[in-house]
Amino acid sequence: MTRLMDIGLEKLSRLVLDMADLAEKSVVSSLQSYLAGKSNTQQLEQWSQELRRIQDEIGELSIEMIARYQPVASDLRFIKACMEIAYGFSRFGRYAYDISEVLELWHDLSRCRQDELKEMIGMVTNMIRMSVEAFAKRDVQLGLQVFELDDKVDSLFRKSMERVSLNPSQIPECDISLLLVMRYLERIADHAAYIGETVSYVVTGKSSI
Amino acid sequence: MQEYTFEKITSRSRTLKNRIMNILITLSALLALTPLILIIADAVIQGMPALSLSFLFSTPVPVGYQGGGIAPMIQGSAIMVAIASLISIPIGVTAGIFFSEWPESRISTISSFSNDVLAEFPTMVIGVFAYATVVLATGTFSALAGGIALGIIMIPIVARTAEESLKAVPNSVKEASLALGIPRWKTVIYVVMSTAKGGLITGIILSIARAAGETAPLILTAGFSNSFVSNLLNPAGSIPYLIYYYGISPYSSWHAIAWGAALILIAIMLSLSLAVRLFAKVRTGLEVA
Amino acid sequence: MMKEDVFSENVSLQGKLAKMYVVGLRAGYGKEIILKGIDLAIRDKSITAVMGPSGCGKTTLLRCLNRLHELSSNAFVSGKVLLDGVDIYSKQVDPVSVRRKVGMVFQKPNPFPTMSIFENTVAGLRLTGIKDKEKLNAAAERSLRLAFLWDEVKDRLDRPATSLSGGQQQRLCIARALAIEPEVILMDEPCSALDPVATAMIEEAMFALKRQYTIVLVTHNSQQAARVSDYTAFLYMGELIEYGQTKQIFENPSNELTERYVTGKFG
Repeated sequence: MTRLMDIGLEKLSRLVLDMADLAEKSVVSSLQSYLAGKSNTQQLEQWSQELRRIQDEIGELSIEMIARYQPVASDLRFIKACMEIAYGFSRFGRYAYDISEVLELWHDLSRCRQDELKEMIGMVTNMIRMSVEAFAKRDVQLGLQVFELDDKVDSLFRKSMERVSLNPSQIPECDISLLLVMRYLERIADHAAYIGETVSYVVTGKSSI
Repeated sequence: MQEYTFEKITSRSRTLKNRIMNILITLSALLALTPLILIIADAVIQGMPALSLSFLFSTPVPVGYQGGGIAPMIQGSAIMVAIASLISIPIGVTAGIFFSEWPESRISTISSFSNDVLAEFPTMVIGVFAYATVVLATGTFSALAGGIALGIIMIPIVARTAEESLKAVPNSVKEASLALGIPRWKTVIYVVMSTAKGGLITGIILSIARAAGETAPLILTAGFSNSFVSNLLNPAGSIPYLIYYYGISPYSSWHAIAWGAALILIAIMLSLSLAVRLFAKVRTGLEVA
Repeated sequence: MMKEDVFSENVSLQGKLAKMYVVGLRAGYGKEIILKGIDLAIRDKSITAVMGPSGCGKTTLLRCLNRLHELSSNAFVSGKVLLDGVDIYSKQVDPVSVRRKVGMVFQKPNPFPTMSIFENTVAGLRLTGIKDKEKLNAAAERSLRLAFLWDEVKDRLDRPATSLSGGQQQRLCIARALAIEPEVILMDEPCSALDPVATAMIEEAMFALKRQYTIVLVTHNSQQAARVSDYTAFLYMGELIEYGQTKQIFENPSNELTERYVTGKFG
């Protein structure tokens, strides 16, 4: 039986998925440009703003549904989850922009090694993909996997930090920019992990931990 | 514009139909009222001349003499109705309570049915019964016999109205009382009865009015007397009997007295009915905001 | 003597005994079985809501708790209802005494129509033999205050009860039930005949009352159950589907049927 609230819930779903797509695109595009040494800060700034806009819209819609329909149980958990996930995606956009800003600082980082970075980028883009899919399909298992990958990302970051402090490269800007970008990637991974965990909350009402 | 005209035409014929129906209905109502109006009018016209204070308070005088009154008959009627009430009210109300509150019991269904039968009984037959029992046993016509006969007539009426008033008390009131831990018998006596008070009193007044006007049973039980009642085992006069007795007499002066008595009886009936009406308005007691 | 494992699932009484236990309660009329075997614990000094769609048996359940159900024709009851450990259906127990400990407020306000506000409030005391004027006055004031009605009627206690508005009449009925100092108060959809403002007042009164009394509230409005109750039981077709803390029932119900009911997905 369709309820009045279902219309709102569907719209909420769509908005979140729209955000998911845009956020993923943002991060991927930003990383590609960074690796290629090209800057597309303006585009990323635009996308970041758009993500903020959608986040506000999700917040508004959630409040409206709570006020009007007094949702309970799974509906209520879903609305809460949407609000939190929206925040996460907006951060993706912000970090994507921040990453491109790093390139702007030094304009030319072509002499830096990219192997560590590429490894982390691979993991993080995978996590983003998985978390979005887990939410879309309400796949608790998938969400859990994302959560577990976060630990690996964290350890990569720590490894690189250790390497830099023990064995700094000859070009200081390479190390600094590497750690900065890895930091942003680590944060993105954190949010993706949280999104994965939220899927479990929506479906079972309990956190996965 | 056309629509407007169309409506006007049909509404005109509708108002005409309405008016005709209204007139017909009012006429029928008036028609139904006519006998009552005629009777009262007749009684007033014929009876008024005989009325005076002395009429109400003095004893009858022999034919040919002036003055006199029907005081002993008023007293006789009052006493017999009082005896009847003393008998019928306790029995009738108790029966009504039983029928209403314990309808499932076999005794209840059987008595309720017999009650209805008794209510429709020809009062003359009740009079014959009272004659065969009380009059033959005591060897005389008496006020007591008359009172008993009237009592028997009143019982089913009181029982029926009592049952109906009690049944009209909403179940919610009974449940509220029971839920407070008030035992069933107390619920019936204190809560249900007081809520049904209005209906009960109305029923009693109406049955009194009915008994006061009965004539046939009195012919066979109380007989007639021109003097005040001093002994319940003596015959007693009553207003209806007087109307009958004086009405078929050959004396015109007696006819006038009969009309006067008839007027008094009508006045008593009307005032009792009015009292009931007013009482019901003041004390409905069952309204919830 | 009570087996707590009867109520395993969602009921964990943390070592505290419940005020009332319902054990294997079956009830109905004639051949129609309305309650098909209910096991339930009612916690002391709290509000337990019983909710469910129409016809699920919640009113029947309530009326079994004060032995009112058996007064209807053809009614049957079996099973146990323990109040402070004593089965109220045992042969030695007088139903009238049960109703003095377990009071009830009905769906439609039903003050005694021929009595004044004061008389209504103390009716339960008067009709069980208490005549002392001072006691009655004190009881009336106490009960009317508890029902949040005192301030509105203290100057017109002799006026007929029917002169009050619907919401006030319902509070009067609550005061009347409180006057006999019961331990448990049963409320059968007390607000369904009232407007939202009156409803809010009754809910406020309920909240204050639960400090001293155990309240069992039947409601068809799941939101009301969510607002006021500490524990919620969900009944469906004569069976207890789920019982637990209200917070849990409305945030994360364990049973699929409960989830569908509270989110309004029931047909």
